[in-house]
Formats: sequence, C-alpha cells, structure tokens
Amino acid sequence: MKIISCCKIVPEEQDISVNSDKTLKLDKAGLKISLYDLNALEASVELAAAQEGSTVTALTVGNKASTGNTKVRKDILSRGADCLAVVGDDALVGILPGETAKIMAGAAKKLGFDLILCGEGSADLYAQQTGLLLGELLGVPSINSVGKITINGSTARVERDLEDEVEIVDVPLPAVLSVTTDINVPKIPSMKAILAASKKPVEEIALADAGYSSDPASTMLSILAPDQTDRKREIIEGDSEEQIAAFAANIRKILN
Amino acid sequence: MSKMPIIFVFSDKKDRLPEIIAGARALGEDVCAFVVGTDEDAQYAASLGAGVVYTFAPQEGVMLEDYAPSFAAVVAACGKKAMVLVPPSKRGRALAARMGVQLGAAVANEVTRIEIADAVTVSRMVFGGLASGSERITSPVCVLSLASGSYEPATPDASLKAELKQGVFVPPAVMPKVVGLTSKQGSSVDLCKAKRVLCVGRGFAKKEDLALAENLASAIGAELGCSRPVAEGEGWMERERYIGVSGVMLKADVYFAVGVSGQIQHMVGANGSKVIIAVSKDKNAPIFNFVDYGIVGDLYKVLPGLTSLLK
Repeated sequence: MKIISCCKIVPEEQDISVNSDKTLKLDKAGLKISLYDLNALEASVELAAAQEGSTVTALTVGNKASTGNTKVRKDILSRGADCLAVVGDDALVGILPGETAKIMAGAAKKLGFDLILCGEGSADLYAQQTGLLLGELLGVPSINSVGKITINGSTARVERDLEDEVEIVDVPLPAVLSVTTDINVPKIPSMKAILAASKKPVEEIALADAGYSSDPASTMLSILAPDQTDRKREIIEGDSEEQIAAFAANIRKILN
Repeated sequence: MSKMPIIFVFSDKKDRLPEIIAGARALGEDVCAFVVGTDEDAQYAASLGAGVVYTFAPQEGVMLEDYAPSFAAVVAACGKKAMVLVPPSKRGRALAARMGVQLGAAVANEVTRIEIADAVTVSRMVFGGLASGSERITSPVCVLSLASGSYEPATPDASLKAELKQGVFVPPAVMPKVVGLTSKQGSSVDLCKAKRVLCVGRGFAKKEDLALAENLASAIGAELGCSRPVAEGEGWMERERYIGVSGVMLKADVYFAVGVSGQIQHMVGANGSKVIIAVSKDKNAPIFNFVDYGIVGDLYKVLPGLTSLLK
C-alpha cells in the first residue's frame, strides 16, 4: 500500500510574540512539524508496518524557507516515513487551505497513493479543511475526525470520533483520512531513526509539475492580535488565613 | 452592510439550528434550510424563519456528509451570489469543505465575524487564538461554519410558514458505507452555556485531588472545566471539558482558574468571561496577567479555605 502522510511546517508558537501594531512577530520563531501532523505520521507508519510492502511518503507544501529547513526535514524522516516529497516555492507565502489543497492534490497525483493521511488541522491556521478539500479535489472519499483505522483489502474501516457519537464507516480506497490527536501517541524518534533519516531520499516537486495555477477563492487580509480586555489584576501574594479570607471577600463581591 | 441575496443553512445538530438561522436572517435576504429528516424537522426550520425548506429523506448507511452533492446542487441551481452556513461541528466542517470544492466556493471554519460588502470578509482565530485572521472572499459562493455564540438564537414561531420542497438525493461518485453508529457515554456537558466555570490545570498533583476543586465548584455553583493537558495528557476529565483552542470557548460570568498556568492557547477560551479569578502558586504564571482577582498560594491550602468561607 502506498501511503502519503501530509505534514505542514509551522512556526514554533512559543516563539511568536506580538508587535506594537498588533501584528505577529514570526521571523524569530523556530520551525517545527505542525503538532497535529505527528499523529498522521505515526498512524501512517503503523499502518505501513501492518501491511507488507507498504511505503510512506511524507508530503509538505510551503514557502522555501520553511520547507527547505534541513532540521525539520530530518525530523519528519526520523519519524518513520520512507521518503519526503516537497513542494517549496516562495509564491506560496500566506496562501489559504483552498490553494494548499490544490497543490497537494497535484503532488499526490504525481506520487500515486492508496491512502492519504492528514492531521485534524494545522497549528498555525487551524482551518481544519485541507485534508477534506484534498480528498474532494482528488475525487475520492474524504473523511475527518478519524480515531481508528483498520485496513481490510481495498477498504479502510474507520471509527469517526464525533461530538456525541462514534460512527463506523467502511471507506473504499483510495481515500483521504484526517485523524484526531487521540488516534495514537507519536513516538519520540530513536537515535538510530535520527541517524537513518539523513540517508532517506527527498524529492523536490516544482510548483508547475503539481499542475498548480493560482486562482484563490479567498485571501488573507491581515492577522492581528485581539485587544486585551482590561482586567482589575488585584492579586494577593500569599496564602495565610487572612489572605485567603481577603480573597474570599473579593470573590463574594462578584458572586452576589 | 449589504445583504447576501440568499443564504442556505444546515445543521447536523438540532440545537444549533436556531443560531444558524438567526445568523442567516441577519445577513441574507432569503433563507433556505436543508433538512435531512421528517416533515416535523422541516416545520421546525420554518418556525425559526427559513422561507424555503428542502427536506431530504434519510438514507440507510449514508454519512450525513454525503449529502454534500445534494445540497451543492440546490445552491448551484439558485444562480445567485450565495452563502452557506453550517455549525462548526465535525460534520459541519466536513460538509463545508466538500461543498466548497463542489461549488468552487471559499470555505472558512468557525468564523467569528462576517461582513458583507462588495466582497465578503470573515474573521477567524489563527495561531492557536493568538490572533484573528481576516479573510477576503472573492468567489460568488462561500461556505462558512459559524462560531458558537455569534448570534442570539432565533425563537420558534409556529405562525411562520415556509415553502416546503422535496430534496433530491445526489449520491457522491464513491460512497463510503456507515456500518455502525453509537452514542457516546458520559456527560453531555455544555460549558459554553455555563455561567460559572471552575477550571483545573496541571497544578493538581493527582486525579484524586480534583475533589478539592469539585467541593469548591459546588460551593459556588460552578461547572468544572480543565486545561488541555488535564483532558488529553492526563485523561482526568472528558475532552468536552477542556477550555481553549480547539476546545470550549467560554462565555461565562465567572471563570475561576486553579493551578492553571495561563498559556495563550488556553486563555483564548477563557477571555470571553466577564470576570477572571485565579489561584496559582507561581507568582510569574501568565494567568496573573489576565485576572481580575488572583491569589498567589498553594491550592491545597487555598481551596479548602475558600470552600468553607464561600459555602
């Protein structure tokens, strides 16, 4: 079985700060694999291990600086993918999921696949639609919120973890599945896996070869931090009986 | 603000329909609802203010999301600028994305603001709630899932009548088969509706200690919530109770954090509360930047003390 595991390279959120004009300061932020995609990678590797002769190709799309980062590339490959396919182009700065999905669809067609796994969203935009759009663009079933996958020949039996119910669905392959963060606990790569990662192949796919032409249905105008609500910030430092009583008095004021 | 000529609505959850229809009525000239169910469901949509209701008969073994081509066919046939509104549930998001591709329409999830002028502009949270992204939509049709709490829910009015139409099921090219559907066990707690929420964080050493929080919560009449690690890492509480990005966004009168550090990804879910109170032993915890009232102290000492004083 040929599995494509999609992963986005995003800024480390802990490093993001807010500028005085409320824009985000991203240039100092390190790069990493979007957290949700670690679950997709782990699930891909587990499924491949259970199906003899399977391969996992990690696929990432983005601007040159992020997709070209060797440390993150190595991190992706150390998590068990056999190879990495990259569509990196500076025309892709700030694009929205509609465009990302089109490029991924082009790349997936070129790579060939039986199953594509995505995370439930990305750590930056968290639009929660790229995987769904991808399946629909490829004309194959596209299922989100997948908490368990079992392959039976040419069908995947999946458990969808919805708000109030669990739905079990038989999905004909090929298909695109977006997995939840509960599907597994991603393993930390072993030293051996990290060393092996640098020997694994990386395939660069040119934007034109992914059959992409820019025609976005929507564009991002701005990303701005919200105004903070003014808070009283009456803070008592210490937990003596008197201080707890004073704190209780503060709370009583608002509860009554 | 100008209005959208027609807005189509669908909700996989009956209790979210009043809010979605209220949004559609505020933003659109005409409101058309899709219902997968009975005539009674159609009447309910009508009573909330939908002028036209398409009723689709439920199909055995078909995922609700596989009605996407059926809904999209109706939207495409209207031939006007249009908007589709759904709730931000898992099914809502799946429907939105699939209809988006079928209609060549922009898709945005959990939008908190919609502005209609020459183009439609929507806002939604990005970077884990650190910022709000504003997206300009240029496609003639757009499909949006509406963040919970965006509109005051419409009240049913039995005198409102709709034009009732029979929907035609258009199967997708490849159709997965539903082989099982089971309701989830456990609480159906909805923290979004709670007036007072007491939130527990990693400051608690073990699960048994949560009893301290339960006692205080019952003393002040609060629902219990938690930070993401408590639900997902420790598994001490159900996922439905975690506050913050991809979890619950509170609109409480009082949010009371105990042993919560106050990372931005969490605070995003709490900032909508009128008053914020916190207990933490770490004086430098970010939570203290967001509080009205706080105490720097040991929760194992503060909680029992507060519980007896506030009972």
